[in-house]
This record gives sequence, C-alpha cells and structure tokens, in this order.
Amino acid sequence: MTLVPERVETGVAARMEGGVKVYGSGDTEVRALDGVDIGFERQRFTAIMGPSGSGKSTLLHTLAGLDSLYSGRTFIGDVELGSLNDRKLTLLRREKVGFIFQAYNLIPTLSADENIRLPISIAGDKPDEDWFNDVVGILGLADRLGHRPSELSGGQQQRAAAARALVSRPEIIFADEPSGNLDSRSGGELLEFMRRAVKELGQTIVMVTHDPVAAGYSDRVVFLEDGTVVGQMDNPTPESVIDRMKTLGG
Amino acid sequence: MIRTAIKGLTANRLRLLLTAASIVLGVAFVAGSFVFTDTIGARFQTLFDDVYAGVDATVRPDQEVFGPGQGSLDEGILGEIEAVEGVGSAAGSVAGFAQIIDADGEPLGGQGPPTLGFSWVDEPALNPMAISSENGRAPRHAGEVAIDVATAKNEGLSVGDRVDIQTIGGVHTYTIVGLANFGTEDNLAGATLTSFTLAEAQELFDLEGRLSVVDVVAAEGVEPEALIAGLSAIVPDRAEVVTGDQQTQEQFDQLTEGLGFLETALLGFAGIAVFVGAFVIQNTFRITVAQRVRELALLRAVGATGSQVTRLVLAEALIVAVVASAVGVLAGIGVAELIKTGMDTAGLSIPDGPLTVAPRTIAVSMVVGITVTVLAALLPARRASSIPPVAAMSDAHARTSPKSLRTRALVGASLAGGAAVAMTAGLLAGNGASAALVVGGALGLFLGMSTLAPLVAVPVARILSAPIRGITGKLARENTARQPRRTASTASALMIGVALVVFTSIFAASIKASVAETLESSFPADLAFASTNITVGVSPAAVERLEGRPEFSVVSAVSMGTFEIEGEEIGVVGVEPETVSRVYDIGASIDISRVGDGLMVHEDVLETRGWSVGDVISIDYSGGKNVSTEIVGTFIDQTFAAFVISEEVFVELISDDLIAISFARLADGVSLDEGLAAAETAMAGFPNVDINTKSDQIADAEAQVDQLVALFSGLLGLALVIALLGIANTLALSIVERTREIGLLRAVGMSRRQVRQTIRWEAVITAVFGALLGLLIGVGIGFGVVTSLDDSGLGSFAIPWGQLAIGLVAAALAGLIASLGPARKAARMDVLRAIAYE
Repeated sequence: MTLVPERVETGVAARMEGGVKVYGSGDTEVRALDGVDIGFERQRFTAIMGPSGSGKSTLLHTLAGLDSLYSGRTFIGDVELGSLNDRKLTLLRREKVGFIFQAYNLIPTLSADENIRLPISIAGDKPDEDWFNDVVGILGLADRLGHRPSELSGGQQQRAAAARALVSRPEIIFADEPSGNLDSRSGGELLEFMRRAVKELGQTIVMVTHDPVAAGYSDRVVFLEDGTVVGQMDNPTPESVIDRMKTLGG
Repeated sequence: MIRTAIKGLTANRLRLLLTAASIVLGVAFVAGSFVFTDTIGARFQTLFDDVYAGVDATVRPDQEVFGPGQGSLDEGILGEIEAVEGVGSAAGSVAGFAQIIDADGEPLGGQGPPTLGFSWVDEPALNPMAISSENGRAPRHAGEVAIDVATAKNEGLSVGDRVDIQTIGGVHTYTIVGLANFGTEDNLAGATLTSFTLAEAQELFDLEGRLSVVDVVAAEGVEPEALIAGLSAIVPDRAEVVTGDQQTQEQFDQLTEGLGFLETALLGFAGIAVFVGAFVIQNTFRITVAQRVRELALLRAVGATGSQVTRLVLAEALIVAVVASAVGVLAGIGVAELIKTGMDTAGLSIPDGPLTVAPRTIAVSMVVGITVTVLAALLPARRASSIPPVAAMSDAHARTSPKSLRTRALVGASLAGGAAVAMTAGLLAGNGASAALVVGGALGLFLGMSTLAPLVAVPVARILSAPIRGITGKLARENTARQPRRTASTASALMIGVALVVFTSIFAASIKASVAETLESSFPADLAFASTNITVGVSPAAVERLEGRPEFSVVSAVSMGTFEIEGEEIGVVGVEPETVSRVYDIGASIDISRVGDGLMVHEDVLETRGWSVGDVISIDYSGGKNVSTEIVGTFIDQTFAAFVISEEVFVELISDDLIAISFARLADGVSLDEGLAAAETAMAGFPNVDINTKSDQIADAEAQVDQLVALFSGLLGLALVIALLGIANTLALSIVERTREIGLLRAVGMSRRQVRQTIRWEAVITAVFGALLGLLIGVGIGFGVVTSLDDSGLGSFAIPWGQLAIGLVAAALAGLIASLGPARKAARMDVLRAIAYE
C-alpha cells in the first residue's frame, strides 16, 4: 500500500477572516457567526466544538461553500468563495471539498461502489483505480462494494461516505457529526479511519462534533461560543475536552 | 376528520394543485361539451322562434322535401288560401339551390353549410330575412339579388356589385341590390343565402307556376285552430297544413340535426380525458399517501383507527373533487364561450346571446368529477389504513409491502385477456349492441395493461435508458426503476391517449390503403365529375355536354337519393345500366345492363334482411308512390349505397337532378391531359363541378380521412395533456421526496444543469415507456378492428410506421416539456436546506 502522503506541502487548507453570519433581523436577529477568524492547516484533523447554537454548523457550512457569509471572507486554498457564482462553487465542491454528513450520506439507488465514485462520475472523470482500492481497503469496504446502502450497516454507510470524500483527493474534508448516528464501536472505528486518513494519506479534515470522545481523535480542537472562537487546544483527550467544556456556558 | 383534511390540504398547496388540475381539465371538457351544444340549440331555437313568430300556419307539400323541385304546390293555391275565412295575409315562396361564385371563379361553400336560394317575400311578418334601410332594398326586378350580410362581408361584396350565381340551370350574373339579415343575424349558421324575385326564383329553380310553401298570418282575432281548420278544408291532396310552431320546430330540427351526435362525440372524448385523469389522480394520491406515512402513522399512534385514516384521505379527495369540479364547470363554460367566439371568427356564426348553462350540465359535470376522483382515491385510501402506528417512529415500518407479483400478473393478464376477448366478440358481432362490448373491452384492456405495466417497468426502463451515458442517465434510470408502480401508473395515463391516437392513425392508414386498392381495381374510369355541393348534383345539362365530346368513349352518371323500405329511409343509387360497368366495377352478380326495372342489393344487406334474389319487395318512393320491385341481383362494392336501381327508374321515381357523380373514360389515343382540357372546356359553365382524375380521387379520399384523424387527434389532445400533467405531477412529488438526495448530490459537486438533466431523462424514459405501451395496445386494437372489418371492405391492415416513429419522438419531447417545471424546481433547490430537510 502506498501510504506515503502525496502532498507534503504545508500551509492553510481553508480559512475564514472576520466571518459574520446573521439570521433574521430586528428583534429576531441572531448572529450565528460574530467575527470569526480561523485557519485550518493542511494534513491536520481539526474538531470544532461548542454548545448547541454556538454556530459550529454554520461555520462548517460557510467554510464549505454551502452557505454564504453576511460579511467577511472564506478561502479554500487560495480561492475566495464570496467571489464565486453557483457554477464555480459547485465545481469547487466537486474538486476541492469532501463531505461526510451525520446521515443520508448515500444515494439509495446506487451501490456502495457507485456512491464512492459519485463525485468523480459527476465530473465525468475516471478514478485512479490504485488509489480507489487503497481507500476502500483501508476502510474495509472491499467486499461490500456491490451492495446498496440499505444493505449496509450504519458504520459501513458512514465509511462509504468517508471513502467517497477521500477518493477524489479533495483539498479538505468537512465532516458534520460523522459518528453521531453510530454506536460507540462503529463510531470509534470511523474516527480512527479518519485519523489514519490524515496521518497516513495526508488528508485535511475539519469535523464538527459535540462529543468529547470524538474530539479526542483530532489533532486540535477549536471551541466556539455565541458565534465567536473562544479558545483552542492541541492534542486533546476526551478528559481534557470535557474539562474545558465545563468552563463554557451551555 | 374533515377539519384535519382541510388543514392537511391547505398546508400543502402543491399537492392540492396537482391533484386538482387533472380533475379541472376533465370536468371542463364535460361541462364545455354540454354548454356548447346546449347553447347552439338554444340560440337557434330563439332565432327561429323569433323570425317565424309571425307565421300562424303553413301550407306545404305533404312529403319530405329532399331536393330542388321535390314536392311543390300549384301557384293557384295562393288565391284559394287568401279567400279562406280567417286568413289575414298569405305569401308563397320557392326555395332551391343557389351558389355564389367568387371572384376567382370558385363556388362558395357547399361542403359544409348549405347554399340556399329563396324568393323574396314582401310581407315582413312572413319573411325570415330583412334588409335594413342602409343595406339597400329587396330584389324587385329580374337580374336583382339580395345576399346575406355575412357572405357580403366575407367576400367584400356590396350593394351595386355584380356577382355570378350558379343554380341548376347554370350560371347567371346578378346585381346585388340588398344585404339581408336572417332575423337579427348576419347569416344563418354559415349558410350562404340568396334571394330573388318570385318569378325569377321560380324559373331558376325549375318551379314555374309553382310554390314550395305558403305561409299564412291569421286575421285579427282569429284563433290558430280555426285558421288551420279553414285551411285544411281547401288544401289539395298531397299537401298539408301545419301550425307555424310546428313548421318552425321542424326547420329548427333540420338545422340542428347533427347536434345530438356532436354532443355524444364530444362527451365520448371528454370521457376519455376523465378516464386518463383518473389514473393521474390515483397516482397523485398514492404518492402523497406514501409521503405522509409518518404523519398518518402519527394519527394512528394517537388513537385514530385504520378506517378513520382511510376516511381522512377520502375526505381530502372529496374536498379537492368538489372544488376542482366547480372550477372545471366554470372553465368548461369559458371554453364553450371560446369555441363560440372561434366559430364566429371562422364565419360559422352562432346567434348572439347568453350561453346556456343547464342545471343538468352542472349536475352531471360535478357528479362525474366527484365520483371519478373519489373512486380513484379509494385504493390509495385503503392502503393508507394499513400503515402501522409504529411507522411514526421509524422508517423501517414505513414501507407497505407490495402485493405479490404473481397475483398482479394473474389479475392483469386475466383482465387484459378477458377484455381482448370481449372486444373481439363485440367486433365480430358487428351490430349496434356490440359497441358497448368494444368500449368496455377497451377500458378493460387499459386497466389490465396498467396492472401489468409495473412488472415490465424496470426491465423496459433499463433497456430504454441503456444508450444514455453518464451519471445523470444512471441516476434517472435508477429513479424510474426505484418505484415501478409509480412509473408504470404515470406511464399508463399516457398509454391510453397514445393507444387511441395510434389506433386512429392505423385505422385511417388502413382505410386509405383499402380505398386506394378498391379504386385501383374497381374504377376503370379516367375522370370523375363530382358536385362540390352535396345538396345538389351535377346538372344533367353538364352530363349532356360531356357526352357530346369526342375525347370520351364512355360517360356514365350515377345519382344518389333515398327511398323507403318497410318505413325506413335508405340510400339508393341510380346507374346507367348500359355503361356503368365500363367505368365502375361494383362486383355485380349479373350483367347490370339487364337490371331493367329491378333492384340490385348489396350481398350483406341481402343476407341480413333474409331476402334472396327473385324476391319481390315493396318500395315507397317520395310522393307516396309504392312500387313492388324484384331483386334481380347482388353486388359487393362498399363505396355505393346498399341498393342500386337503373337511372331510368331513378329519374322517374326520385329525381332527375341528383346526379352525384359522373364518370368518363377517355377514347383511344386521347391522353389524360387532352381529356382534362376537354373536360374543363365542357364544364366551363358549371363551376360547381369538380373534375377529378383517379389519383385526385384517391387523394381526396385520403384528405378526408386525414381531416378526420386530425380532428380525432385534436380531441384526444386533452387526454394527452392530462397524461403529461401526470408526468409533471409524479416528478414534482418525487422531487419533494428526494430533497435530501438532491441536496447531497449538489453538495458533492453536481451542477444545476446535471440535476435538471437527471430529471429530464427520468421524464423521457417514463414518457417513452408509456408511449411504447400505447403503441402496443393501439396496434393490437387496430389489427383486431381492421381484420374483423375485413368483410366490410377494410381488408388492408396498414401500419403508418413513419407516423408511429414521429409519435415516439414526440412523446419523448412531450416528456421533456413536462419535466421542465420539476427539473427547474429541483435545480433551484437550496443545497443547505435540502441537506437539513427532514
């Protein structure tokens, strides 16, 4: 297996400058992001944590180009997302971004194999078969490829989603509570795979979670509260994360 | 439950709108058909009552008038009538055929509305026509004519212009002195009207010294009964007195004769539209029930019984049905108004006045709309009751298990098979009662095929979509295969319309092929001379001129008229026994020149009536003449009427100027062009005669068939539109169902264009699937009908391959159009919201 990271360059894979996101107006105005400045280094596994309503999902969505900022700027690599129209944003997501959602990650009419190749098929490209086999092998999906999502376990479904995100070698992968619907064993397996993807395959992953155990798999945790970054921690453990969470409201 | 139903409906306007649309269209067609035909009837009734209001009694010949010169009164009777006590005034008039020739030398009208000539009646109360002061005056001298306002407008004619008019005596030029209205109207239902002085009209219509009818106004204070009694005492044999009301009614009935048939035909097509609509409604309810499994399960969980859930769905159906049917009735009234305006613009003016919306129209339309909707919703509603309460909590229980495929195959196959047997039996029986069998069989066939369709939906969809490359094609293919019942049901709605259109075009193609074959084999004549006007024939003078030309070796005329057998009025043809077989082979069993005073009967009719050659039957001719006639032979040709007599007998007992067509054969050494030139010279004075070559004849017959096909296809159009609406429905609802999926696809990089493409492919696959099913059934029914009508001269089964191929492409395009809205909606979906959609 070629587990040597292909990209050795370092630097920032995605960042946000002065990010503000406002929902509603007047009395009902909610500032989901209230001046966020943050960057995500390449080949690192970052977790974003915070209580409900702290703005972590909004941060993920705006970083990934699924939602736009009220003010401020976001970058994937060197590309500023605010300047892109829908077509260019779509292309950017297709080529530079991978997604793992909490649920409904797979198209039910396609087999696992077809789901994993989906972004590449959409682009009309051919996948790098060696790379495909590597990823599928690492994620333990080699013998499940012909099955439809309904025939896969929850853990297998999420691993297939991870494989899909990895196969197109994106600049960055965004994961939204990827283990949220899984039992603790499957969840642990998935998070372990994600950590290996960073360590061995050189991927960059940003994960939103409210689970300190999940955050414990990451290299760095960013804490969010009321739409602002209130702190961070390198090399976290579940215990250190829990301790830190206690100091946050909610 | 009703309140829950209303809440549910108002909360989901898309669902409401989609279900309602197909009901509205179907009901509008039903209501529109009623309103349209009722209005025509009522408006003409009013007009006739109005214009003939002054007539208290009418003296007329006592037989059916079916041709100029048929049945008339001696002029002298007018004096006798005026002398009768109680008569205020009386006026005699004559009527006949008169056709205006336009500036290009072409006769006006003739194929559609009649071209009528009258003598002008000076007593306004007795004249349905009137000339207002700014429109000139009545004809007073020979060579003067008044024409109707509408024709004058259409042709740009005005008072003082000179115009050529054709009557049975030939063409003469007249000066227009007045433009007449018919009552308040510019025209009488599109007929062209010409009016001359009495003396001139009598001469033109070959009625010198005679009158067609005498209208009478009672003297002041005289009761109509007394007037009728007084007149009855003096009318001669073969004449009768009727009240003005009766005469008006009979005139009205004659004019609106075809109205009942029109109504039946329109309602037939409306029925097809409603039937197709039922499929769409059923499918829409099925999908919405599937989408609301959680909601309905929640109702069960909080204590609603299964039958309450069923009632909830039915209540929704009922509310939608009532609202949509009411809208449909209003739309139908609008459509009727639109058609009326259209006809006015086309010159087929219908008297002004309000539309007639009978209580029956509203009642029938509402009942049809409501019944069909509720019936269509019944199955989905029953299925809703089987949703378990636990489905509210988990998706795993949300799917209702489909019935076993074997049961479905069995039910579908036996339904379709039984229906096919019924149709075949109906077709072979070949009489009036079997029509119900054929129609019922067709309905059963459609239901059976739509039951079977889900079984083949998946493989067919895969085969159809095999050539489509790329991920969009793959997704579209899987989407159509994902819900075979839904796809099949959506396709079935289209199947019905397509099957009927295909059947019509196959039937038409077969008729064309048969006609061409028949004409080729049984029509040795080179030229045919037919009248452009169905009410009057080719003038005998014209035939005489043809006979004098050396270019023709044979000229043989054929007359068409009617007589009565056992009280039934039947068409009869008069032929020239010596020559007919040289221009037309009717497949006679004897040498036609030996027909003499006898009668030849079509083989089939002979058999049906249980006669045999040599029998003597009793025939009643117009004017009360009864003649015992021997059946001397049979024939097999279908184009002619079922009875043939000699021209001599025809002229003596029916008429001498009902020559429908005259055939001619070129003399040796004369080319077709030379013959045509000679024919044109000979017919110079008879512009109402069309000169046809054999290929013209074939083309004419084909054109007529094509017209019918176009009309039928147009009327089936609504059924197709409803089916396409069904495709749009299914897609729109499926997209709502797949919101998360579309969101995911967009998130991982699918462009809007690709999303649209996916939806479009899905629509095209479904539409082509439906069209293929329709094609199959249409060809099947077509084959059955054509072969079982073999005996009736429709032997050549022909499939218009080109048309069918175009039809398939059209279906694909139509599917594409149906998908435009849903595809746009899917592509516009907000990615973030789609992902968060629950």
